[in-house]
Amino acid sequence: MNAPTKKHILIVDDEANIRELLEEFLTQNGYRVTPAQSAIEAHKVARTDPPNLIISDLQLEDSDGLDMIKSLKETLPNTPMMLLTGVLFDPKVVRDTLSKKVSCYLDKTASLSQILAEVQRLLPN
Amino acid sequence: MKDHTVKRILGFFLLIFAVVVYVAIDSVRNINRDMTGSDWVNHTHEVILDVNGALSDIRSADAAVLSYVVAGDARSKAECKEIFADLDEQLGVARDDTRHEAIQHEEIVQLIGLCNARVDFDRSVLAARQSNDLQTVRSLLASDAGVEATHEIQRLVAKVTSEEMELLAERDHTSYDQGQTTRVTVWSGVALDFVLFAGVGWVIWSDIVARRRAAAALQEANEQLENRVRERTAELASANEKLRSENLERRWANQTLEHQLHYNQLIINSISDLVFVLTKSMNISRINPAVVHLVGREPPDLINQPLSSVVRLDMDRSGGAALLVDPLSQALAEGRDLRDLPAIVEDKMGRKTPVTLTIFPLRDRDKVVGGIVILQIAPKTS
Repeated sequence: MNAPTKKHILIVDDEANIRELLEEFLTQNGYRVTPAQSAIEAHKVARTDPPNLIISDLQLEDSDGLDMIKSLKETLPNTPMMLLTGVLFDPKVVRDTLSKKVSCYLDKTASLSQILAEVQRLLPN
Repeated sequence: MKDHTVKRILGFFLLIFAVVVYVAIDSVRNINRDMTGSDWVNHTHEVILDVNGALSDIRSADAAVLSYVVAGDARSKAECKEIFADLDEQLGVARDDTRHEAIQHEEIVQLIGLCNARVDFDRSVLAARQSNDLQTVRSLLASDAGVEATHEIQRLVAKVTSEEMELLAERDHTSYDQGQTTRVTVWSGVALDFVLFAGVGWVIWSDIVARRRAAAALQEANEQLENRVRERTAELASANEKLRSENLERRWANQTLEHQLHYNQLIINSISDLVFVLTKSMNISRINPAVVHLVGREPPDLINQPLSSVVRLDMDRSGGAALLVDPLSQALAEGRDLRDLPAIVEDKMGRKTPVTLTIFPLRDRDKVVGGIVILQIAPKTS
């Protein structure tokens, strides 16, 4: 009997430490993780190995996270997208604007367990 | 198998061996006794036959002598010689057979004496008849107390026979007792050996039961140990997992905090206006690079210095007279903004630069904990 296929998560962040920590944490919790440091790299992964979930920072080296998410939605319309950023938005902005563009918004002050809870919510077994 | 069990079994086998050896020795001894007794019985019967044969020979000899005396037949004389030889042989055998029995031996010797006396008489008669000395023959026969002598021999033979028969009966009884003793000894030995074998079986069974019990106890102890090891391993794995998670959380928190601080620093540093962060006492607690650039002083020279050491309101440009109360301190105390006030910045070399000053109270929740001052360089007027 084959083991159930692990859910694939694409992490897009220009900070290596953030990518590594998230990759270690999510791998430890049973996910297959592909890190990408730029929007171009994220697009390449989305084409070759479509993820089940995309977690992206807002500010990337070569793009805006929201713009990248918008373009990725054309390729992967059903894939949930999570925005994980250090830019603190006003709750009203999150409610009125970001919630329409992404499946989930979390600021980076959120704990890993909170992030995991959101991942599990977006990727139910 | 335990050492003491082996010792017990060896002990039992030694006892079994000892019983077998004892029974064997006793049986062999009894068999030897029986064989000796059998020889003795044969000899006794031989003695009885010999003494009765001797009596018969004496009578036959008397008859043959009388026949020779009457008929003078040489065959009767030859018969007498044969009878005498046979008598001598039988009495000799009887004497030898009774050599270990003093009483019987004595009686046989006595019998031999009587028989020899009779034989001597017969030979005297035969000799007289052979020489045709009938007078002598007549006188010998007249003086013969033949019947009496024969009766004496007969009584002695009967006595010897009777005694020998008694001895035979006694020996038969003794032999029977020996046989019974041998049977009892053999069956007792067999029974004792069976008991000892049963003892060996009991020892082995006890050892097997003890070993099974020990093995079961050992298995149970091993299972308990394995369970404890499994539980402990699970606890350690859980603790390790928890520790890893906590470590990751801590690293994540540090990383995100550092990121946040860096990001905030970037925001302030990216502003080209001069930014001062003040304490409630109007001392400088933080500045951005634009301040360093314009004032020409490094942060250590400015931090914890009063704002007034770098900036002052330009009363001339504001068109007002000197104020009794510092409006910036008052605005902070009242928690309100002051915007676009004319002010002068003096650099390290004493050069003055006109700026526009705005102050915002710095709030932590609803409490004013300091202030933010932003200076914009005033456009040069021609």
